[in-house]
Parts: sequence; structure tokens; C-alpha cells
Amino acid sequence: MDYQLIFNALLPDLIVVVSLFVALGVDYGCMRQAGIRDRANKALQICSLGLIGGLVVLVLQLNGTLSLDYSELLDATHGQLMLSPSTLALKWLLFALGLAVLPLAARHMVTVQVSEYFALLLLATLGMGFMVTSRNLLGAFVALEVVSLSLYALCALHQTSRASAEAALKYLTYGGVSSAFLLFGISYLFGVTGELDISQGLLMKEALIRAPMLVTVAYLFILVGLGFKIAVAPFHLWAPDVYQSAPTPVAAWVASGSKIAGVVLLLALLKPVSMPSGNTAIIPMLAILAVVSMAVGNLGALRQINIKRLLAYSAIANAGYLLVAILAFTEEGRAAAVYYAVVYAVATLGAFAVVAVLSDRLGREAQIDDFRGCWKARPWLSLALLIFVLSLAGIPPLAGFVGKFYLFFAAIQSHSQIGHWSEGLYWLVALALGFSVVALYYYLKVLKAVFVSEETCKLDKDSIGWSSGAVILILSVITVGLGVWPGPLIEFIGQFLI
Amino acid sequence: MTALLTVIISFLGALVCGLMPAGLHRRIRWVALLTAGLGLATAFCCALRYSGPDMVDEINSTWIASLGVSFVTGYDGISLPLLLVTGLVAVSGVLFTWNLDHRANQFYAFYFALIGGVYGVFLSLDLFLLFVFYEIAIVPKYFLIAIWGGAKREYAAMKLVMYSFGGSALLLLGMLALYFGSGLNTFNLLELMEANFSGGFQSVVFPILFLGFAILAGMWPFHTWAPTGHAAAPTAASMLLAGVVMKLGAYGCLRVAVGVLPEGAMVWAPWIAVFAVVNIVYGALVALRQEDFKYVIGYSSVSHMGFVLLGIATLNLTGMTGAVLQMFSHGVIGALLFALVGTVIYSRTQTRMLDQLHRLIDRMPGIAWVFIVAGLASMGLPGFSGFVSELYVLLGAWGSLSGWVVAAAGVGILATFGYTLVKIHEAFFREGTADSEGSKRLEQADYPPMTLPEKAGVTLLLGASILVGICPWLLTNHISGSLELLIDRLAN
Repeated sequence: MDYQLIFNALLPDLIVVVSLFVALGVDYGCMRQAGIRDRANKALQICSLGLIGGLVVLVLQLNGTLSLDYSELLDATHGQLMLSPSTLALKWLLFALGLAVLPLAARHMVTVQVSEYFALLLLATLGMGFMVTSRNLLGAFVALEVVSLSLYALCALHQTSRASAEAALKYLTYGGVSSAFLLFGISYLFGVTGELDISQGLLMKEALIRAPMLVTVAYLFILVGLGFKIAVAPFHLWAPDVYQSAPTPVAAWVASGSKIAGVVLLLALLKPVSMPSGNTAIIPMLAILAVVSMAVGNLGALRQINIKRLLAYSAIANAGYLLVAILAFTEEGRAAAVYYAVVYAVATLGAFAVVAVLSDRLGREAQIDDFRGCWKARPWLSLALLIFVLSLAGIPPLAGFVGKFYLFFAAIQSHSQIGHWSEGLYWLVALALGFSVVALYYYLKVLKAVFVSEETCKLDKDSIGWSSGAVILILSVITVGLGVWPGPLIEFIGQFLI
Repeated sequence: MTALLTVIISFLGALVCGLMPAGLHRRIRWVALLTAGLGLATAFCCALRYSGPDMVDEINSTWIASLGVSFVTGYDGISLPLLLVTGLVAVSGVLFTWNLDHRANQFYAFYFALIGGVYGVFLSLDLFLLFVFYEIAIVPKYFLIAIWGGAKREYAAMKLVMYSFGGSALLLLGMLALYFGSGLNTFNLLELMEANFSGGFQSVVFPILFLGFAILAGMWPFHTWAPTGHAAAPTAASMLLAGVVMKLGAYGCLRVAVGVLPEGAMVWAPWIAVFAVVNIVYGALVALRQEDFKYVIGYSSVSHMGFVLLGIATLNLTGMTGAVLQMFSHGVIGALLFALVGTVIYSRTQTRMLDQLHRLIDRMPGIAWVFIVAGLASMGLPGFSGFVSELYVLLGAWGSLSGWVVAAAGVGILATFGYTLVKIHEAFFREGTADSEGSKRLEQADYPPMTLPEKAGVTLLLGASILVGICPWLLTNHISGSLELLIDRLAN
């Protein structure tokens, strides 16, 4: 085994790990007497540097300066490191999004365990990076567990809040059970193929012919397990509580990063069975999950008064939309799912960021009504929230619209010639479109509070700090940019990712 | 490129107005007037330079290659009158809200975002692009009504947006069906018009597309957003809603639904005609029963849009020319009526309830006569644009639809005469009947005459209607020239 090769491949992760330990060490070693603000800033600096270092190395890997022999690496690690322009780009994206979460976390420290907070965030980011690069069943599972365990702990970090502890416990129990389901499904897959590396997918195709029933059962369990992780109804019950009670930056990270990683993993797992003559039993399962998610998410969001809870239901609904694209089982569908996951993650992270800077210091859970009249005191943040929320609602010319359009496009394309309305995915797209009308209602409810009311806003008047401001600015520029000029990213995904 | 300037200028105007501090509302309204004026001037230039029946000023560049989306714009004789009416209504909308000082920067930002979207729809020749502009126009409407509107504004704004968005959901489905049904992998309308869709496909997809657009055109029974939305909206917004936003729907019905799926149109035309006639008669009869002046105008809009739909349903040159001319005509007159009721009269009397208005003819004679003239224009008297367009529609209907439909539309015209005269009487010549403090106060009120911006706005809109009424060939030549190309395909 060529250790130099593996070292080169894992250099970004190593840098992040080192920065993680430096942050812990500095905080424990030198900063014990310092105030909590200073400790947070120091940890933020170290961790940001680490992620930036990782990002730079990833760019070097992507443009070939740090050359990697992708196929040798794949063989040497039994599929655990499937590095290619596509997975490296996704890893880069996740690191970048992780970098965006850090300033939000530093701005409002909910705990005295400052460096642990940042270390766990980095650990979750690392895990997500491995989730998207691993094509080994066990490797991917371990990566997923790294993410999940970090997130459970992060949820509980709000130590003075009972709700935070309750949410974390709920997340842990549900998450643990779902991991068990996932592992069970994976063990079945291993049983029928005798191979943990799914990057080739050949054995799976044989297995599909040999024992279709067993493969179906395996995927049923995998869907249940991953469905929990990406908040697909009816496995969504943890999501509203976790989103509401976890520290806002953590909720943002659950909603954005772990969703992208989960979707990519799901796509990777489904890829071997996604052929035209593929396993037909999976399609109705996915269709049911999609419909239930869209219904539960959109209808549930209608009566929410807490903004983070509303975003949680929106996450459930969006998981349903994502499944519509995955259901297409075509390259276009996978590309659409990845594109949608990315634009959704950017928009939802932005929305959480605005909510975090405006309401984290409120001392209680922010209601939608707390944002009334926000435009007066905070015109620019209100504008940013407008962009993010409208992107979630799928209004052009924002990224969310192109994302939704691409989803529906891909879904219909997969069976475009139909004889009867129940064939193909026209009915599912029609249903999704109907639900997106419902969705506009609750998104507008948020914007109504922000823009329509003439009341004086009771929210945080503190300066948001340049780093949080920059994060929000960049995310909103991306949201507009990917809506007006989506071509390059779509082509990139189509070219490399599939 | 010239025509696209209308869109660019409007969006730039929105940006500039939005960035100006709210305190500078005097300066903001001049910027707004300049933006709207430049838009109108551009539209006017396009009109002057347009000669042939073909599509001109085409821009065609790739936008999202992998989805078959390109950026295609251009205009012909069908879009031209609509560009003009958008410009006219935009300018007069600014003139009639001259005194706005509450959050003026945001108001004009949303106002011009809406107008830019509207121009964009009329210029788009790519279905995806058209849809994007169509949706861009939705959200500003919500804020214009919800922030600056009158009573029940939040309810009305939400209802309007839900209906619009529901319509566009149908539209998106129809769009995707066209894309994959044609097998051409393009959203370009001109190419889709050449595609060979099977008869069965056309008769299934046509109603989806048509309904998607017709919701915004105010087709019965999906019209209920219109009166509530119009009544709750601030004047400039209700002028835009009645004047141009409803035309977006009608334009889409004509250009996309009928243009791309002519066989489907032929299958469904009798049904559309029935709905259109219901629009005409029902709108007129309900208007007769309204006590709120703005609701009267709102339902009259529904009624007048019926003529547009009826004209489209005739599927012959005369009727469809009438439909496009009626879009222009109602755009101008509907906007004028909303301006008169919503600003000119309301700002003086502080009420829109007809039973509280007390012999206004004595106390605001100038305004009253302007309204009476506008009412006559709305009734479709000769000399006004409405006469020509309704005549065309009825002649077209006589040629292709059953006599019962024409007869029913005739009843609608009688009802229009009825409610216009009755409401003019109630507002201007009748003693106030409401036994309230309000009407007592109104009796003593002394009303100032029209201000200069109001006079300018009235002149602009009324002048356009009279000019087209006297010289209809200014528009009809272009309209029927371009429509002929569309109808040739119907004949095949």
C-alpha cells in the first residue's frame, strides 16, 4: 500500500484534524482564565484556519497540482476513498459550508465548553467529507456515525436549556435506532454480494438477479435508516424538536451539511440498482416516502409559529422534493438531486444564519412574530432573509427555483412518453407543484412579519460582526447567482458527479 | 435590444428606488416618473419602428444549455399594444400616487420589479424565460397590496398570490409536457409552434396551460382574487393589476396555449366561449349589486376580461384582433377608473361607499365629468377604444360561435350599460343615503380640483383610449398582421 498516496489524499482532513486538536489544546492550555468571548474568538480563528487550509489543499487536489491516482486509491482502500473531481468538489462544498457555520457559532456562545463546540463542528464536517467520498458500506457507515455522534453532542450543548437536552436525547434515540436499521440493511447487502465496496456495482447487479427480494429488503432498511438522517417523513419526528431547541448554528448545520451528505450517500447506495430494468419494488417505496414527506412537511409548516420549527417542516418537505428527483433513477435525476440539495442547503443555511444573528440573544425561542417590523431596524438582514426564504419557496430568479425546476424536469424526463396519467412521474410532479403552492403560504407568512408590519422590532440590535455579515452576504450572492446563472454548476454536476 | 431596454430600465429603476433613503420621497417619485417614462418611451420607439407582421428585434442566446433553456426575446404586433399599455399604466400609476410618502423607496422598488416582470413576459419567446418573468411579477404584488393596501389587505394579498401561484404551478406542468411532448428539447416558443403534437396530446395539455394562464386573466370561476385584490390594493397597484397583470394571463392564453396547441384550442374553444360569456354577464350583474365603488370597478374588470377570453375563443382573425385590442383598451380604461375611484375621489371624500357619496356632481364637477367620460369609455361607446374592440369580438363570435353565445354576450353588454349608468347616478347625482356621521360631514365638504399630476394621468389614459377609438388601425393593422401568421396554423 502506498502510504504517500493516502497521505496526499487525506491531507485536507489531516489539516482539519490538527486544527481541531490545536483549538482544544490552546483553549485548555492557555485560555482557561480568559473570558468566554476571547476563547470563542481564538477557537474560531484556529478552526477557520484549519478549514481554510483544508479547502486550499482540496483545490490543489481538484486542479491536479497535488496529483492523485484516483483508481489506485480506490483499490487500495477498498472503496473507502473514492476521490474524483465530483466527490472532491462536494467535500470542498461541505468544508466551505462548515466554515460558514463557525462565525455564527462564535457570535453567540451557548456553553462554557467553547473549544468542544468548535471541535465537534469540525468533527461533523470531517465526517460529512468522508460520507461523500466513501463508497465502502462500512466506511460510509462509520463516517455517518461520526457525523451523527457529533451532532447529538452539539444539540445538547445548550446546557442551560432543558429543551436542548430533551431534543438531543430524542435525536440520540431516534438516530441510534435509525443507525441500527441502516446497519442491518447494509449487512443484508453485504450478505447478498459478499463485497463492501459498492463503487463498481457489478456484484450488486448480479445479486439483484439472483435474490431480488433480499436486495429489496436491504434497501427498505437502508431507506428507513437514511430517511431518519435526512428527515424524510414518516421518520421525521425528531426534526422539529431538534431544529427548534438545538443551538441555531447547529440546527443550520443539521439542515444543510448533513442533508447534502445524506443525500449523496443515498444516491451512492442506490446507484447500483438504478437502471431502467432495476428493482421496481424500490420505486413505490420511494414514491410513498416522497408523497408523505411533502404532505407532512408542507401541511405541518402551516401552523408553526416558531421560525426554526417552520424551517424544520420545510426541511421535511424539501426532503420529499429531493426524493422526487431520486425516484427518476436517471443520471439527470441524480444531478438534479445534488443540485437541489446544494441550493437548498445554501438557502436554509442562510435563513438560519439570519435567524441566528437576529434572535439568538433574545434569551428565548424566537417566534415568527418576533420578526415583525424587522425591515426598519435591519433592512439588509431583512433583504437577505427575503432572498433565502423566496429561494426556499422556489421563486425565480433565485437558485431554489432552478433547483425545483430541474427536479421536476428530471422526474418527467425519466418517463417522458406516457399513455395514461398514472404512468411516469407526471402525477408526482403535479402533486409536488400543488404542495409548493401551499409552501408559498407559510414562507410568505414569515416575510409578512418581516416586511409588512409597522411595529418597532424587538430583536437584537447588536452589530452582527463582519464575519457573520460576510457569511450572510456570500450565501445570498450564491443564492441569487445560482438562480440567474445556473448553467456552469449544472454542467459541472452533469459532467463529473454522476 | 431596444425592446429589452424596457425590462432593464424597470429593474434598474427598482434597484435605484430601493436603495434611496425613504426620507427622500420627493426625489424618489421623480426617479420613478423618469423610469416609467423611459419605459414608455422605449415601448413607443418600438411601436414606431415596427412595420411588418413578423417577429422583430430578436435576441437569442443560450442560457442553461443542459435544460434546453435559452434567452429569446422579441416582439410582434400582438405584444406591441401590450408593451404600450404597460408603459402608459406605469407612468400614470406614478402620477396618481404622486403624494405617496410612506416607505416610498420600497413601494417603487416593488412597483418596478412588477413592471419589469410584466414587460419581460410580453417580450419572452422562450417558455422558461416567460415563466421566470411571470413569477417575478407575483411576489411584488403581494407586498404592494399587503403593505400599502386598504382594508383586508393581508387577506386579499395572500389570496391573490395563492391564485397566481396555483396558476403558475399548472403552467409549469404544461410547460414540461410541451418540452417532452415535442421531442425538440427546447422551450423556444417559435420552435414549439412548429412542433407536431398529436391531437390527443393537444386536447389534454391545452386545458392545463390555458387554465394556468386564465386564472390570472380572471376567468370565472377563478376570478375571485380579482375584485378583492383590486379593492384592497393601493391605487397604483390596482391600476397595474387591472391594467396589465390580468393581461399577462390573457396574453399567455393567446400566445402559448392557442399558439402552440391550436388543435387543442379548437377542441376546447366552445367551452372557453361559455366561460367567457359567464364572465361577461356574471361580472356585470355582480357589479350592479356592489356598494363599494372599487368593487364595482373590480367586477367590471372581470366582465371586460370576458370579452378578451371570448375573442380568443372565436379562433378567427376578427375575434382575436378584438381580443388583443380589448386587452389594450381595458388596460387603459380599467387603470383610469381605478385611479379615479381609488385616488382622485377617495382622497377627497375619504370613502368609497356609494351610499355615502352625496351629489358629487355639484361639489367636484370637473372630476365627475371626467369619471362620466371614463364610464362611457368603459361602456364601449363609439369614439373610444372599447367600442372598436368589443365590436371586433362580437363580429368574430358571430362568425364562428353559436348564436346563443353572441346573444348572451349582448345581454352582458346591456348589463354593462346598466351598471355603469346606475353607479354613475349613485355616485354623482344621488343624495347620500347613508344615515351616518360620515355622510353629514360629506355634505359640508368642499373638494379641491384635480392636481396637475392627476390631470396629466387622466389625459394620458383617456387620450390613448380616444386615439385608438378614432384611429383603431394604428394598432389593428399590426395586431391582425401578426395574428394572421398564428391563425394560418389554425387553418391547417
